[in-house]
Amino acid sequence: MNKIVEKENFSEKVVKLVVEAPLIAKARKPGNFVIVRVGEKGERIPLTIAGADIKKGTITMIVQKMGVSSKKLCALEVGDCVTDLVGPLGKPTEIHNVGTVLCCGGGVGVAPLLPIVEGYKKAGNKVITVLAARNKDLLILEDEMRKHSDEVIIMTDDGSYGNKGLITEGMEEVIQREKINECITIGPAIMMKFCSLLTKKYEIPTMASLNSIMVDGTGMCGACRVTVDGKTKFTCVDGPEFDAHKIDFDEMMSRLGGYKSEEQDKMDHFQE
Amino acid sequence: MKEFNSLEDILDFAINEEQMAADFYTALAAKMDHQEMKDTFEQYALEEIGHRAKLESIKNGKEYKVSEEKVADLKIGDYLVDVDTEKTNITYQEALTIAMKKEKAAFKLYNDLAAAASDEVSRDMFLMLAQEEAKHKLRFEVEYDNNILTEN
Amino acid sequence: MERSEEYIKNERKKEWRVELQKKTKAKDRMAIERVEMSEQDPNERIKSQRIEVNNGLTKEQAVKEAMRCMDCVNPTCMEGCPVSINIPKFIKNIERGEFGKAASVLKETSALPAVCGRVCPQEVQCEQKCFYVEKLNQPSVAIGHLERFAADWERESGEIAVPDCAESNGVKVAVIGSGPSGLSFAGDMAKLGYDVTVFEALHEIGGVLKYGIPEFRLPNAVVDVEIDNLRNMGVKFITNFIVGQTASLEDLKEDGYKAFYVGSGAGLPRFMNIPGENANGILSSNEYLTRVNLMGADAEDSDTPVLRGKNVVVVGGGNTAMDSVRTAKRLGAENAMIVYRRSEEEMPARVEEVHHAKQEGVEFLTLTNPIEYIADENGRVKQVKVQKMELGEPDASGRRRPIPMEGSEYTIDATVVVVAVGVSPNPLIPNSVDGLEVSKWGTIEVVKDKMQSSIPEVFAGGDIVRGGATVILAMGDGRKAAANMDVYLKEKYLSQKVEQ
Repeated sequence: MNKIVEKENFSEKVVKLVVEAPLIAKARKPGNFVIVRVGEKGERIPLTIAGADIKKGTITMIVQKMGVSSKKLCALEVGDCVTDLVGPLGKPTEIHNVGTVLCCGGGVGVAPLLPIVEGYKKAGNKVITVLAARNKDLLILEDEMRKHSDEVIIMTDDGSYGNKGLITEGMEEVIQREKINECITIGPAIMMKFCSLLTKKYEIPTMASLNSIMVDGTGMCGACRVTVDGKTKFTCVDGPEFDAHKIDFDEMMSRLGGYKSEEQDKMDHFQE
Repeated sequence: MKEFNSLEDILDFAINEEQMAADFYTALAAKMDHQEMKDTFEQYALEEIGHRAKLESIKNGKEYKVSEEKVADLKIGDYLVDVDTEKTNITYQEALTIAMKKEKAAFKLYNDLAAAASDEVSRDMFLMLAQEEAKHKLRFEVEYDNNILTEN
Repeated sequence: MERSEEYIKNERKKEWRVELQKKTKAKDRMAIERVEMSEQDPNERIKSQRIEVNNGLTKEQAVKEAMRCMDCVNPTCMEGCPVSINIPKFIKNIERGEFGKAASVLKETSALPAVCGRVCPQEVQCEQKCFYVEKLNQPSVAIGHLERFAADWERESGEIAVPDCAESNGVKVAVIGSGPSGLSFAGDMAKLGYDVTVFEALHEIGGVLKYGIPEFRLPNAVVDVEIDNLRNMGVKFITNFIVGQTASLEDLKEDGYKAFYVGSGAGLPRFMNIPGENANGILSSNEYLTRVNLMGADAEDSDTPVLRGKNVVVVGGGNTAMDSVRTAKRLGAENAMIVYRRSEEEMPARVEEVHHAKQEGVEFLTLTNPIEYIADENGRVKQVKVQKMELGEPDASGRRRPIPMEGSEYTIDATVVVVAVGVSPNPLIPNSVDGLEVSKWGTIEVVKDKMQSSIPEVFAGGDIVRGGATVILAMGDGRKAAANMDVYLKEKYLSQKVEQ
C-alpha cells in the first residue's frame, strides 16, 4: 500500500501529495507518469510525477481537483493510503545537451515540468523557464523552478504576479532575444497548442507532454489514441511526449471530452 | 506520361522499378529498431530482386504471356490509412500495409500504361506486368487476411 | 508429472472403477441422452452484466451424464485436453458420487478447473475426441459441463482441498502476468516445491479472466476462489508491478529470482486503420470490456464511466466481439450489432456464444466491413460507412476470401463502435529485455514443447508466444514450461538429474 506521508494545499483546487512508492521513486525518470486508483470502486487515472526522493522512497504528485477521482484523491490525508499506484509509465524525456532550452509550463502542468527542467540543467543546458497561471495564488513550484533554471519568467492572466499576459507572450520575448535550441511545453491542451504554433513559426523543435484519457496505462486499452503527423499513437506507451508541431491538438482536445457527459453524471452522483 | 520506344524500353523501366522497390525496402530495413523488422524488410527486398530477375530473363528472350487467369483483388490495402515510413518502429501489420499499397500502385501504373499503349505488343507487355504486380499484392493481402484480420 | 499410459491404465483397474464398469451395461449407458444445461431466460439475463447465462448441472443431472461415459480402455478424450486432465477418472468419481474427489482429479493438472469448465471450447477439444463422437457419431459426453459441476460443487461445499505440494526447495521463480498461462505455471511450480511470485501490472489478479471475459460468462468470484487456492499452495502475488518498468528483469535477478515465466499476453488492441477511427465513441474491445469487467463501470457506484448508446456496432467475429456486443445489450443498447467481414460460417467465436448472442437479440451483419467512420460536429461518431462483401473463389489454401462489392456502400447509425478485430502481443517484455528473440509478429520465440526462449532462464507461453489463442492453450503452455523449467533449475541449482 502506498501511504501518504505529506500533504500540502497549494490552493483550494491544487494539492501536493508525497506518497510512499520506493520502487517507482527509484525507477522513474523525467517525463514518466503513474496511474492511481482511490477506493475499491475507484477509477484508474493517470497522474504526473513532480519529483521523487529515492532515500525516503517517496514520489511527489501535484493534483488538481477536476472530477470525482481527483477529488477523492485530494480528500485523503497524511497516513491514508492510495489504494493502487503503478508506474513509472511512458517513455522518459530525451534529454541532451543542446544549448538553450525553453521550458514552458501552465497550471498543474508545471509539476511534471520540474523534473524535466532539473534534467536539462543537469545535462549542461541553459534553461529558461516560463510559468503561467491564472493568478498569483494558482502559481506553483516557483522556488523549485528558480533553483534549477537560469531564468524564470512568470506570466499571469490578471497581472497579479510577474507579467500580465499569456504564456506565449513571455515565450516570444525570449525567442526574439536569444537563440533557443529546444522547447518543451506542458499544460492545458489549448495552451500547448498555442505554444506549439508559436515555436513552429520560429522553427524551434518542440515537445509537448499529453494528458490523454487512459485506463490501464500500458498500451492495452487505446483510449489515449492521438494523431501525430497523421498517424495514430498511444500516449501511454508511445508518449506521453510527442513532437508538438505534428500533434493534432484539435482532435486531442476533442478526445479529452470523450467521456464528458458520463463524467458529469458521475460527478452529480458523487455530490449527491 | 513516359514515352516508350520499344519492349526493351518498357522492360528496362520495369526492371528499374523493381530495383527501386528493393532499394526502398533495404533502406527501411537499415533503419528499423528491431532485428525482426529488419529481417522482414530485407525479405521484401529479396522478393523484389526476384521480380527483377524474372523480368531480366524475359528481356533475355524468355517467353512470356498474358494469362487469362484473373488475379483476385481483395482490396484490403485500399481502405487503410497510409503508414509513416519515416519512423523506425514499424510493426508487421504496418509493413504489410506498406507492401500492399506499393504493389497496388505498381499495378495501377502498368494498367494505366497498358490503357495508353499505342500498339498491342506493348499493351500486352504492360498487362503482363500489371498481372505480376497483382500477384505480388495478393501474396501480401492473403498474409494480412490470415494473420491480421483473424477476428474480422 | 505427465502421466504415462501405464499409470492411466492402472488407475482404470482400481477396484472402484471396475465395480462401476460392471454395474451398468454399455448399452444402458449409450441409451442415456446427453444432458442439456439450463440457461437463464435471455430477456431476464440481459438486465445485468452479472447474471451468469449457464446455470450449471444439478447433482442428479451430473451423475446421470457421468454414467454415459464408457470409461474407455483408451481414453481418446484426454488427447484433446491441453492440460491432460484425467477425464475418465474425474467423471467416474462423479458417477459414484465422490464429487470432492472428482474436483481433486481436476486439480492434479489444472490450476483453474471452474474457469475451464466455463470458457474452454470443449467441443473442439476433449469432447471432439470422445468415443461417442468418434465411434458412434452421437453427441459426446458433456465433459465441460461435468468439469464445471465438480469444480463448482467443491467451491460451494466450502471444503476446498489444497493440492499436495513438494517440500520447499527454496528456489525463487518469477511469473510475469497473472493470466491463465501464468496461473497454470504458478500452480505446477508450487506443487514442485518452488518459491513462486506472480507479478501483475493491473490492480487485480487474473489477467484476461478479469478484464476481458464478462461476468455473465465467468463470474469474478469463481476466478478469485481459484486464485485463493494458489495462494494456499504458497504462491505469492504482487499487483501494480510492471516488469520492465517498475523494475527490470535484471533487478529481479539481483533479488534472487533464478528463472522467469513470461505470460504477459496479447494486450495490445488492433485497430482497423481506416479513416475516422479516432472519433470519440470508437473504442477497442479491450477498453470497453476493461471498463465494465475490471472497473465495474456498469454499476452506478463505480467511478469509471462507460459509453452507452442506442445503436452500438461491434466490429469482429471472435469471442471478444461476442462478449462486447452482449455487454452492449446489457448496458441498454436497443440495437447491438455485429459487423463482420466474412460469413457466419467463418466466425472464430464459439457456436455457443453466437447462439447466446442471437437469443439476446443481437443483430448479425455478416459479409459487411466498415471502411470509414463519420463523426458529428463535436467529434463523436454518428455513422459507420460499410461495404458489402462477397466470398471469392477458393484460393490455393482452399479458403474463400471476402472481396468488396463495388457500389455496395451504405451507412449504419451508431454512437458507440467497439473494435474487436484482434489483439497483438504486449511489447513491454520483448522491448525491455536484451537478447530476447522476437518474431516479426512481436511474439517471443521459444523452443517448441519446452517453452524456453533464447535466454535460458526465461520461459514464455500463452498469447505472448501464440499471438492469440484460448485460455486452455495458454494454460497448457504454462504446464509445459513448468515441467521444463523444473528440469533446467534442478540441474543448474540443485545438482539433480531429472528423468524426463
